[in-house]
Amino acid sequence: MYDDYSWNNNLFYNGFVMNNLQLQETFFQNAAAKKILQCIQCGTCSASCPLSDLMDHAPREIFALIRDGEMLEVLKSNTPWFCVSCYQCMPRCPKEIPVTDIMYLLKQMAITHHLAPKYHKMPDMYKAFGQDISRYGRVTASNLMARYGVKHPVDMLAKMSLGMKLLKRKRLEILPQKVRDPNQIACMLERKATPEK
Amino acid sequence: MTYGFYPGCSYKTEAVFRESVEAVNRAIGLELVTIEDWNCCGATSIFSMDQTEALLLTGRIFALANRQNLDNIVTTCNACYTSLKKCYKTLKSDRDLISKINDRLAAENLKITNLLPVRHLLDVLYYDIDAAVWNRNRPKNLNKLKVAAYYGCQLTRPWADIDDPEQPVIMERFLERLGYETVDHSAKTLCCGASHFIIYEEDCLKLTERIINEMKRKGARLASTICPLCQINLDAAQKNFRGMPIPVPYFTQLAGLALGIDPNELGIKKLLVSMDYELKQIL
Repeated sequence: MYDDYSWNNNLFYNGFVMNNLQLQETFFQNAAAKKILQCIQCGTCSASCPLSDLMDHAPREIFALIRDGEMLEVLKSNTPWFCVSCYQCMPRCPKEIPVTDIMYLLKQMAITHHLAPKYHKMPDMYKAFGQDISRYGRVTASNLMARYGVKHPVDMLAKMSLGMKLLKRKRLEILPQKVRDPNQIACMLERKATPEK
Repeated sequence: MTYGFYPGCSYKTEAVFRESVEAVNRAIGLELVTIEDWNCCGATSIFSMDQTEALLLTGRIFALANRQNLDNIVTTCNACYTSLKKCYKTLKSDRDLISKINDRLAAENLKITNLLPVRHLLDVLYYDIDAAVWNRNRPKNLNKLKVAAYYGCQLTRPWADIDDPEQPVIMERFLERLGYETVDHSAKTLCCGASHFIIYEEDCLKLTERIINEMKRKGARLASTICPLCQINLDAAQKNFRGMPIPVPYFTQLAGLALGIDPNELGIKKLLVSMDYELKQIL
């Protein structure tokens, strides 16, 4: 999945696209997802969210949209990709809706159905992370940044000064750390090991 | 009881954790057995993309710990802690899922036989280590500086089993036991931006600025962290803010100082915001 560069690029995706209703049905197959039917639209989640300013729709709106069946709008929005997984909304929710887990589910669905917003950089970061794992079994910061930097060189250059500072303090590993047999990890995840460029 | 130790990817170099954890454990006689051949827990990245893969990665860690007959898994990183706990909670209630994961792990002759409890090192140091251990070589002036404890997100949330999800006090109580003076503040569990900080730095700087300013307003001269990502975010961000930066050491580095260990052995020189001035005051 991670070697296929088109997975978050809906523009060139010619496969079968589900409609709102089918997507909604798929979504509600998940046990945790059903909990949003109890949402009272109080907005505690949106108010707790550290990055809700940047989102197309704050979490409360997302739940309303899902219930209204606007699944394409939801999955194409940047909201789940701005979720930092800080879980602040989850213990606060009066109806005990697992908001963060639902954001994970939406991200997974957006990837599966090729709907993730392609201007958002987080999918590329996550993908680089996944590639690092299938290649080495462990993640090394410098390696991860290099992999991500292939697609976003400006971002990587902006991090160079921090990298140099860390390097000076011997806080940056240059060679990637590995598990004993990285192939086993790739096998377990049923992926082909990513060939090194 | 044998403590299994899951170091996580950033433990060795990117975080300055290793030096202080090893020095403190040596001084107090706590033995952590590293899980051999550990792999990355997948953090939030893999949970965002594929739930099954995330559970396989974390499941493998449980299986490795079972192979070594360990009694629990101790982590130092909040993200590892939450990933592992998430796996624990998911698998605990789903026997079928365990057998599915075991099928995939069989290629490596691994098997999850017993789901081990997951603990954070702070939890172990606070609850399992005798309080008297900490004041053997305590420097006299340790209480001259006020320390603000910063927990970050994923230690207390969403589990809320170690402490309150929003206003935890375990680190304050631990630091007070060490001999430090702590401040009460409202930014204990605010989010630092985590991995979004790497890409959306400008937006996340607002989050870190709020945390740092709150700590400074309450009179803190040091911020104690427990997570490698919080540490680097708070440490690196401060060059963008006005006013004096405050050093952001780990709780294990502060524990090392309280035990009278030489600061050079604790990796304190590797912090981005220099702690030299504060060291002169307390030692």
